[in-house]
Amino acid sequence: MARYDPLLAWFRRRLRLVATAGAVGIVLGGIAAVVIAVLDDPTTASTQTFAIGTLAFGFGILGWSGSALAGRSIEGLQRRLDTNSDWTERDSRRAMTRLSGFGAGVMAGVVIVTPLLP
Amino acid sequence: MVSKRFIAKRLLLLVPVLFGVATVVFAILHLAPGDPARVILGQRAPTQQVVQLRRELGLNDPIWVQYGRFLADTAQLDFGQSYQIAKGSPVWDVLADRLPVTIELAIYGQITAILLGIPLGVLSAVKQDSLTDHVTRIGALTGISVPIFWSGPLVLLVFATFLGWLPTSGRIGSTFFLEDHWVLFGTQLPLTGMVSIDTFILDTGAFVQSILYGEGLGAFASLTEYYASFISAVQHLLLPVLTLGIYSMALLSRMMRSSMLEVIRQDYIRTARAKGQGERITILKHGLRNALIPVITVIGIQFGTLLGGAVLTETVFGIGGIGQLLVAAIGATDYPLVQGTVLVFALLFTLVNLGVDVTYSYLDPRIQQ
Repeated sequence: MARYDPLLAWFRRRLRLVATAGAVGIVLGGIAAVVIAVLDDPTTASTQTFAIGTLAFGFGILGWSGSALAGRSIEGLQRRLDTNSDWTERDSRRAMTRLSGFGAGVMAGVVIVTPLLP
Repeated sequence: MVSKRFIAKRLLLLVPVLFGVATVVFAILHLAPGDPARVILGQRAPTQQVVQLRRELGLNDPIWVQYGRFLADTAQLDFGQSYQIAKGSPVWDVLADRLPVTIELAIYGQITAILLGIPLGVLSAVKQDSLTDHVTRIGALTGISVPIFWSGPLVLLVFATFLGWLPTSGRIGSTFFLEDHWVLFGTQLPLTGMVSIDTFILDTGAFVQSILYGEGLGAFASLTEYYASFISAVQHLLLPVLTLGIYSMALLSRMMRSSMLEVIRQDYIRTARAKGQGERITILKHGLRNALIPVITVIGIQFGTLLGGAVLTETVFGIGGIGQLLVAAIGATDYPLVQGTVLVFALLFTLVNLGVDVTYSYLDPRIQQ
């Protein structure tokens, strides 16, 4: 029977979170680049799709670090102002990890597909 | 005592924040319409010239190459040169000129908010459900609800146009000249760029010189004349600072009230009262320090709002700070200047929050856990 390694389990959970979102991003990013290249031109397709991926990636990173930096404070602020919305630092970090994984996936998808564009 | 590990962890978190901001700014600027080469050369420039400039600026490279280059330059704090607003000048130089103006505004705005918001919140909590409490709460709600682009012109209309008490715009009266250095015992020293501090230093220098080498103690008779430029600077600052401080003050007073109400119901406050300790000491010594912890956190978060508010305030009051610069740079599609300005805003915000984290972990060491 395999021994339970908490560190490995911790890493796997996070990797799965990023990798699933990243895989979706690669597929969608690639498809979007091809569709825009057909409708417009390859340079615009590559630039615009990559920029959108970068936006999602950057927003995810920013949201993640913002949650880690100020999440507890925001939770406390909501509690004290009686505006509790069930928003938690942990959930926010998870969501932002997914978002940055998706953005990175889109960026990678565009880099892979661009040389193949007509 | 604040642990070094806590500070190091917070400092490390600044890296992803700045990386995220840089990435978002890069993405937004590349999604926005407009060709920087066309902006630099003008709409009527020959296409060949535009193509050549695009090549020189590296805009023809694949976008991921541009992204990598942008990140590498940003990591070295090299934001490039301004395309339009300060043609050819390094972005750092432009920012260094304008940054003190915005910092001055934000700091005074924050100080105003703290000095008014915290006592009002304490008063409101101590006199719960009294007339004072109701008035303070309504005032706070109004302050939170009124946006700066409305409150700014309103205070201008009342205090500058109708009453004529204060000037409408600018940083100092037109009869005064802002020096960029001061002389102490024959040595030239740089000034801060913050008009209130600079004029105070210069006016004090002239005043002290007059006491030592001129009029002697008789100089005190014309004190207001010696401090005329400082007084003018303060008069020019009052309305923008008030406008900027109102929103923050309102939120702080509401937070302070809520936090104080929670604290004064605690057992240790009851114990202090049972020991026969006076109400004022109980509130200020035992209540205030504990109630301040969540409020200090909000002060840090509010600093970002103040910086954002400075963009509007500077535009309304015609103050040439970094906020007005950002608005102009966006209008002129000056990519490097927009990138530099936003990153400096982010850096300032994160550094202030680091300071706040250190302060409240000092007030409540449990937070470090």
